Amino acid sequence: MDMENLETRVKIQIQKWIVEAQELIQRTPPSQLYAAVAVVGFTILLLILIKLFKRTSSNTIVLTGLSGGGKTILFYQLRDGSSHLGTVTSMEPNEGTFVLHTETTKKGKIKPVHIVDVPGHSRLRAKLDEFLPQAAGVVFVVDAVEFLPNCRAASEYLYEVLTSASVVKKNTPVLILCNKVDKVTAHTKEFIRKQLEKEIDKLRASRTVVSEADVTNEFTLGTPGEAFAFSQCHNKVSIGEASGLTGEITQLEEFIRNLVKA
Amino acid sequence: MLEQLLIFTRGGLILWTCREIGNALRGSPIDTLIRSCLLEERSGAASYSYDAPGAAYTLKWTFHNELGLVFVAVYQRILHLLYVDELLEMVKDEFSKIYEPKRMVYNDFDDMFQQLKKEAEDLAEKMKKSKQPVKAVNANLGKKQGLGQKGGVDGGNKKKSGDDGNGDEEGNKTKNYGYENGHSNGEHVVNGEVTAVVGANGKENRSSNSGAFDKDKLKKLRGGKNGGKKTNTTAVVSKGPKEEPKKKPRVWNDSAPETKLDFTDPVSENGADDVPDVAMDQGESMMDREEIFSSDSESEEEELGKDAKVETKKTGWFSSMFNSIAGKASLDKADLEPALKALKDRLMTKNVAEEIAEKLCESVAASLEGKKLASFTRISSTVQAAMEEALVRILTPRRSIDIMRDVHAAKDQGKPYVVVFVGVNGVGKSTNLAKVAYWLLQHNVSVMMAACDTFRSGAVEQLRTHARRLQIPIFEKGYEKDPAIVAKEAIQEASRNGSDVVLVDTAGRMQDNEPLMRALSKLIYVNTPDLVLFVGEALVGNDAVDQLSKFNQKLADFSPSPNPRLIDGILLTKFDTIDDKVGAALSMVYISGAPVMFVGCGQSYTDLKKLNVKAIVKTLLK
Repeated sequence: MDMENLETRVKIQIQKWIVEAQELIQRTPPSQLYAAVAVVGFTILLLILIKLFKRTSSNTIVLTGLSGGGKTILFYQLRDGSSHLGTVTSMEPNEGTFVLHTETTKKGKIKPVHIVDVPGHSRLRAKLDEFLPQAAGVVFVVDAVEFLPNCRAASEYLYEVLTSASVVKKNTPVLILCNKVDKVTAHTKEFIRKQLEKEIDKLRASRTVVSEADVTNEFTLGTPGEAFAFSQCHNKVSIGEASGLTGEITQLEEFIRNLVKA
Repeated sequence: MLEQLLIFTRGGLILWTCREIGNALRGSPIDTLIRSCLLEERSGAASYSYDAPGAAYTLKWTFHNELGLVFVAVYQRILHLLYVDELLEMVKDEFSKIYEPKRMVYNDFDDMFQQLKKEAEDLAEKMKKSKQPVKAVNANLGKKQGLGQKGGVDGGNKKKSGDDGNGDEEGNKTKNYGYENGHSNGEHVVNGEVTAVVGANGKENRSSNSGAFDKDKLKKLRGGKNGGKKTNTTAVVSKGPKEEPKKKPRVWNDSAPETKLDFTDPVSENGADDVPDVAMDQGESMMDREEIFSSDSESEEEELGKDAKVETKKTGWFSSMFNSIAGKASLDKADLEPALKALKDRLMTKNVAEEIAEKLCESVAASLEGKKLASFTRISSTVQAAMEEALVRILTPRRSIDIMRDVHAAKDQGKPYVVVFVGVNGVGKSTNLAKVAYWLLQHNVSVMMAACDTFRSGAVEQLRTHARRLQIPIFEKGYEKDPAIVAKEAIQEASRNGSDVVLVDTAGRMQDNEPLMRALSKLIYVNTPDLVLFVGEALVGNDAVDQLSKFNQKLADFSPSPNPRLIDGILLTKFDTIDDKVGAALSMVYISGAPVMFVGCGQSYTDLKKLNVKAIVKTLLK
């Protein structure tokens, strides 16, 4: 009962206001009215422009890759220049907007970078879709030591990233970063690149078969009829090396600074 | 002694670890805990057991949701440390006082920790002295994974009685459903990792189950296209008409026998190459069609609006308004209780097994407790959002379900890709095997069927009919043969004639039928198939949990190999008959961890789909 009473009262009040407003409009001269409308329109236009402008100069870098690749370590290396006490499997993304640690000593104003470390566990992949559309660049972290057992899973994930709508549409550059190269048993980046290309080539064959069923995978990779190579991608796909544990991440920083100018 | 105590953020950064204890842990128990327990929505459980060569740890954990912190304690399983729970709580309280998001080093916590540990140990010592008899029980329980007291006792007894009680209970079918919880207290060995599941109260389930069972059975008897579980012989006959183009509308009531039931071809089974009704061109399988999923967010909004109204009426308009604007300080259990209760009921009306709805709600509660409620949100919507996230996480497959990719990989190695279809009676194994065959055929994969149902009369003929209509080879050896041997010969035959895929049909079996389960385990062990597909019907309710976990359990128990093959994927059948009661999909995926690979949704060969996770989640929460 209370609610109904309240509703009717509010309705009456609103009607009163509408009538008052109409009277007010009739009383004011039309020239003033036009000016007011113009001001409002201009403000809205300005807001839209600002939003558009902001979107073009995104400063988001997304770290992704399989679980256990060392993304969180890299994130903290970029931010603090230290791996702290180590990391465990992430359950939530790590996000931060900061000036890269190696640049904190430099003088002058440096544009901070927004870095997101998306968990690699397959149950949490859905999170990636939230961040990909705003990404200026994607870093796909690959474990260079435990590469072969995870090769197929990694290439499937990479395929998903490369064919995702936002990456294709915005030509987001992708860096395949071979992590843990400080270890003796680490594979070379050339080897990893070749293996990934080979796997993606096979994947392409099987995915195009089922692609009609998948709404998400409407894009195909590379040139049909040719063995797949990353150079065939429309967006720039480069490959680099890093070691999160020892802090050897210059190639990663270069990649970031190329996309987000200081 | 405590092996390790870790404090880390949900983002994965270790903030503090007890350096003085500092023993190197064997294996990686923490990562395993996160991957196979916390991320699988099992964080409502009390403890987790980790097994690796030379290491057997028990892990306990607690969350601080507002700060996004996780506290994990690791200790040797043979030691039954009683003070761990208290210690974790104390550490949580103290640590949250000094925690700052920007700070990364907490060396000063060491002293505090030593003090807390001493306190906790003293407390445990005191308890030990005052409650000597209780301790004895506890030690006993420890062997059963140190579960909660009640669950542990229940489970222990049941497991024992379950194994030798098998024989007696076979005859009495309803009993199968009674002791379904026994196994879940035991260990599910999945790829060498051990997952301990805390058993829910068996008693509760037993009483509610009898009702659910009746309902299911009724449904099956009325709506089951393959006949009821017991009426196998009629099922063979009624299978025939399904694909006939001249099929008449089905008569559901008892007058069915009057109409002509025998629709099978007049052409003799063995002769006649020119079968008129070859089903090679029924259009593309629904696996390949894009599904247009209309989002009815509008109606949802409306419903939400209604919910809101009800709630405001209950709690008083002004205070709730104020709360929603200001944001509540932090959620506690009492706040969440009503919303979770409603959510659990809603899930159960969607046919989610009770046990699973319960566990999910516990896990969601654990993830929300202590969190700040944002401005302009209500508890119910916060809980709903958390649940939605959890559901999406569960239903998203862990492994790739791209069968085509696997088929091509096997082809490159020059081996046929072997798929074994298993399941209880009358769920539609053969029918959906034919649908899968049809889908594979459309993608230029050569398929061979293997009729390894050497148990039920008519099964081979049924498969032969499908094979003839799809014009694919079938390997059969008649009845009364060992299915494992038949399958083996079939695979050999396939590699001889260059078939890419072998689809192995097996006899339907109840999950408690020991001789048949033993045979199945042997079949899988001998032939090492690439994919073990569990066929389950979407109609099933609480029994889904029982079926899947028992299948997995029996496959593990009866296998001679130390690393037994378990169920890799699920084929959900009769999905067109259930309207919005899609809960079975969730139950099955949750209990087995295997993804739903196909969904059977109709009578014709084209009616095979992929699971649309978003649609399922939406339906579940509607």
